[in-house]
Amino acid sequence: MKVDIQDYCIRCGLCEDLYPVLFHLNIEDDKIDLKYEGDIPAELEDMAREARRDCAIAAIFLS
Amino acid sequence: MKTITTDIAIMGSGLAGLTAAVKAAEAGARVAVFEKRPFQGGGVSNTPMMTLAVRDDQEYKDKAFKVHMEYTNYSADAAVVRSWIDNSSHIPEFINGLGIDFLHVMKFDLETLGQLPGYSAGFPKGMHLGDYYFLKGQGKGHGAAVICKRMADTVEKLGGELYFSCPVKGLIREGDKVVGLVATDKDGEELRVSAKAVVIASGGFSDNPGMIKEFTGFTYTNNNCDDGGNVLFNTFPGARMTGDGQRAVWEIGGAQGSMGINGHNLVPGPGIIGHTPWIMKNQMRIIQEQPYLWVNQRGERFIDEGISNNHMAMGTSIARQPDKCSYIVFDEATKRHMEQEGLEYIYFIFPAEKLTDVSGQFEHLIDVVGNKHAFVADTVEDLCAETGIDAAGLTRTLDAYNDYCDKGHDDQFAKDPAFLRPVREPKFYALRCFCGGYQALGGIKVNGKCQVVDDDYRPIKGLYAAGDCAAGEIWGNPPTGGIGVTTICFSQGFITGREAVEYAKSL
Repeated sequence: MKVDIQDYCIRCGLCEDLYPVLFHLNIEDDKIDLKYEGDIPAELEDMAREARRDCAIAAIFLS
Repeated sequence: MKTITTDIAIMGSGLAGLTAAVKAAEAGARVAVFEKRPFQGGGVSNTPMMTLAVRDDQEYKDKAFKVHMEYTNYSADAAVVRSWIDNSSHIPEFINGLGIDFLHVMKFDLETLGQLPGYSAGFPKGMHLGDYYFLKGQGKGHGAAVICKRMADTVEKLGGELYFSCPVKGLIREGDKVVGLVATDKDGEELRVSAKAVVIASGGFSDNPGMIKEFTGFTYTNNNCDDGGNVLFNTFPGARMTGDGQRAVWEIGGAQGSMGINGHNLVPGPGIIGHTPWIMKNQMRIIQEQPYLWVNQRGERFIDEGISNNHMAMGTSIARQPDKCSYIVFDEATKRHMEQEGLEYIYFIFPAEKLTDVSGQFEHLIDVVGNKHAFVADTVEDLCAETGIDAAGLTRTLDAYNDYCDKGHDDQFAKDPAFLRPVREPKFYALRCFCGGYQALGGIKVNGKCQVVDDDYRPIKGLYAAGDCAAGEIWGNPPTGGIGVTTICFSQGFITGREAVEYAKSL
């Protein structure tokens, strides 16, 4: 499973607050850094699904 | 250099700018929105959960207007206040029209306006001016984020254009009117925009420490206040609201309007708030709502603590204390009271009737997180040594305060006897609270039509302003008073969208 952040993400940082294993709010570059650029570990897939549901703007896509 | 021609150019894509854009586009105007960040939403996306609408009833609107003017001691601009209030009744319908529901609505009857204490839009004793609409958000976010996205989509559907990563650098004025703006596009190339009217909706200046110092007297600080600063912003963190719109307006002759901080009481992080202020890591924000003993650095009380859950009132009071600093102090007995019997004030944002393992929470915050603003001590003297509170002052205060508690009457500030709890039983706990900032607002002087005016109060033709940057005329003075601005953003968005189009059609 891969995680993608859409351009319309508002950089609120909710994803890092709740799921720091997967996301980091990069304030300097004004973007969300993904902790895993490629496939995430299988044990984090449920967490990624939760992150998608929790996102304030539905900007987290999973593929 | 690239050029664009449009009817209405809008600086900023937050609530105010996008509301203006939707309204102007619905009226048939060509609209172009310029946003310096790569996405819509401005600062508002990151928190606001509710907005306020004054009912479309003449008696109700009249009362709301009078209450607001009275609370600002008539220092607010009456015409700007009136137009905001009169237009706000359309907000619920507008939000529903974007396909967004309300979680719930708090209705306030006519006779309660301005009468209810507690968490409110503004000033001591509350300033309920209308009905509160709680926005339904997506996931664990608040509704404003979704509203901004829906508005951005609506603008595009109506043929408008959104230019992201495209900061506005200045306005173009010819004679007595503004005829466009200059921006830098995402490739770094200059973009010259010819427009019949321009709406400034660029937000406040919370992320500009220089402007905060110059115009409010506060020193902006980091999340742990370890740099000597005394005001921090937790509501729109990193929103990049740097006062660009204000400066652009001033440069072409617009008058400087009222500016200030919409303050509240806030225990600095880390370990209390993260990026998203509505997701707490512990219950410290609930403790700081409570009406127990509050003192300043001299160990002196400074307010009837019954007002402690009115954020702006507390922020205003704390800002007047030495170092703009305060402490809530309680003992083991009150700690047990909060854990076993329950809280005096239930904070609706972080609802809990009782606290859990307060000692453990303090221990974690102090020992694990390294927060410098939470304290536990075996004696009052030790508490003073750790906090820096003047020991003689606090001892005097406790002698008097505990006496008030025993006899059931607060001789000093007449606090509700139900909130009088002595501070005697070790251990002793304290949280250091600074003046937090919801926003730093204002700077552009507008009239009741949201036209930007010059120093002689003459409108600059073709130039309008809405939202945080133009809200200064509404809150009046004191400078750290304030009102939730989502209602102003929507309302002034309606006004500027309508007025700008009418002006454009008249040319």
